[in-house]
Amino acid sequence: MIPKPGESIAHICARIATDLLPKASDDYAAADLAFLTVMLSMVQQDFERFADVHVREHDEMCAIFRGARDRLPPDLQARVDAVLGHDQDTSLLASALNARADVTTRLLIDVHAWAEGEAGPEAAWDVDLDGEIWRFLDRYAANRTYEAAL
Amino acid sequence: MDERAEALAEGLSRYLTRQRRADWTVTGGARIPGGASRETWRFVAGSGGEQHGIIVRIDPETSLIDTDRALEHAAIDAAYRAGIPAPEPLYLEEDASFIGRPFSIMAEVAGCSASAESLPPEHLEKIGEQKWRWLGRIAALDPAELGLESVMTLPDPQACAMEQVDYWAGVIRDDEIHPNPIAEAAVRWLRRNPPPPPQKLSLVHGDYRTGNFLFSPEGEIRAILDWEMAHIGDPLEDLAWSLDPLWSFNQPQLAGQLIPHREAIAHWEAASGLKVDPHAFRWWRVFASVKGIGIWISSSEDYHHGAAKLPILAIAGWLMTDRQERILCDYLSPHSQHLFPEATA
Repeated sequence: MIPKPGESIAHICARIATDLLPKASDDYAAADLAFLTVMLSMVQQDFERFADVHVREHDEMCAIFRGARDRLPPDLQARVDAVLGHDQDTSLLASALNARADVTTRLLIDVHAWAEGEAGPEAAWDVDLDGEIWRFLDRYAANRTYEAAL
Repeated sequence: MDERAEALAEGLSRYLTRQRRADWTVTGGARIPGGASRETWRFVAGSGGEQHGIIVRIDPETSLIDTDRALEHAAIDAAYRAGIPAPEPLYLEEDASFIGRPFSIMAEVAGCSASAESLPPEHLEKIGEQKWRWLGRIAALDPAELGLESVMTLPDPQACAMEQVDYWAGVIRDDEIHPNPIAEAAVRWLRRNPPPPPQKLSLVHGDYRTGNFLFSPEGEIRAILDWEMAHIGDPLEDLAWSLDPLWSFNQPQLAGQLIPHREAIAHWEAASGLKVDPHAFRWWRVFASVKGIGIWISSSEDYHHGAAKLPILAIAGWLMTDRQERILCDYLSPHSQHLFPEATA
C-alpha cells in the first residue's frame, strides 16, 4: 500500500506545477495542466475526509430518521426501518459508503419533502423537522468545501 | 502547428475557398483555453493581400452544456445586427465533411481578454457599468423584431419560469451521480413560491457573466460571447445569473468582481427601462443556483462516465457544485447567516 497517499498526490501537483507546466507547448496545454493540478488537489482533499464525512453524515441522518419515524407515513416508516436495520453495515470501502449514502440521502430528500408539505395540526413539529434537516444540510455543504485557488 | 491544427487549417481552407469562390489559406491554429461548451480555435485566413483573424467553434464530442449550434448562431447574429457588442458571425456549417464535425466561424475581436483574472483594476467600474448596461439593452430588445421567434420557442409568460425549473430539475435528476438534497430542496422551494410573470419577454443570453465578454486593455467591452444557452424568457433570469455570488465568490460584496450589486442593478434598470421586483428577483436568484447545479452536475456526469476527459469538466462538477450548494444554503436555510445579502434589499 502507498504509505502516504495524500502527500503523494501533493507531490504530483507540485511536479506538474513547477516542472511540466512551464514547458507546456501553448496556452491551451498550460491551462489544461493548471486545471489538472487543481483537480488533483481536490482529489487529495476528498481522499483525506471521504470516509469520515460519509460515516458521520450517515449517523446524523439516522438520528433524524429515528426522531421522526413514528410521525412519518407508513411508506416512509418502512424505508426508515430498512435504513436503520442496516445501520451496522460498517464496510468503509468507498463504493460501499457511496451506495449506502445514496439510499439514506434519497430517503432524507423524501422525508424533507414530506415535512414541507405536511403543515397541518402538527405544523410546529414539521417546522422543527424542516429546521433540523436544514441544519444537517448546512453541515453537508460545509463538509464538501474545497480549498482551491480559483 | 500540431497535427490537429494542421488538419483543421486544411479543412477550413477548402471550406473558405468554396464559400468565397477564391483561394483562401487558413494558418496559425491555436486552441483557446476555457471554452468548455465548444472546442474553440483561433486561425488567420488569408487571400491575396488580405488577412483576417477568425474564431472557429467546433461541436464537441461532449461539453458542459448540450446546445443547438444553429440557435447559438442565430442569437449572436440577432445581437450583432441590433448593435450589441458581439463577434460578427460569418458562417454556420452543419456538414461534418470539412473538419470532421459541424462548426461556426466568427470574426476575431483582436487585442482583448475575457479572463476575470485579467480585469484591469483601474477599469472595474467602467467595465461594470458597461456590462450591466449592455445586459439592460439586451433585455430591452424585442425578440419578435429580431426574428428570433423562428428559431426559439416563444414561452407562455405565465409559465416560462416553471418551464425553466422543470427543465433544470430534469437535468439534475437525469445526470446526477448521487442524490442532491440541497438542490432538491431548492427546486421544491421554487415550485412553492412561483414568481410573478415577466414584465416583458426578452432575449435571454443564458450565461451572462464575467468571463463571457471580451474587454480591451482600456476597459471597453468589445464582444459578448457564449450565447449557446440563449432563449426567450424573463429578463430577470439573466440579471440574477449575472449577479450570482458564484462569479465573485471570494468578494461577495462585488457583482462579478466588478461593482457593488446595487450599482449593477441601477445600470441594468436604466438601460432596460424595467424595474427589479424584489420578490421576483429573489426567486430568480435561487433559480440561478439551481440552474448552475444542473450545469455542474451535467459536466461531472460527462467526466465520470468517460464521455470527456477535460479536467475543467470535473472541476466544474466538483468545485462549482460545492460553492453553489453553499450559496443555496445561505439563501434558504432558516439558520443562514446571509453572507450573500440580497442586492435589492
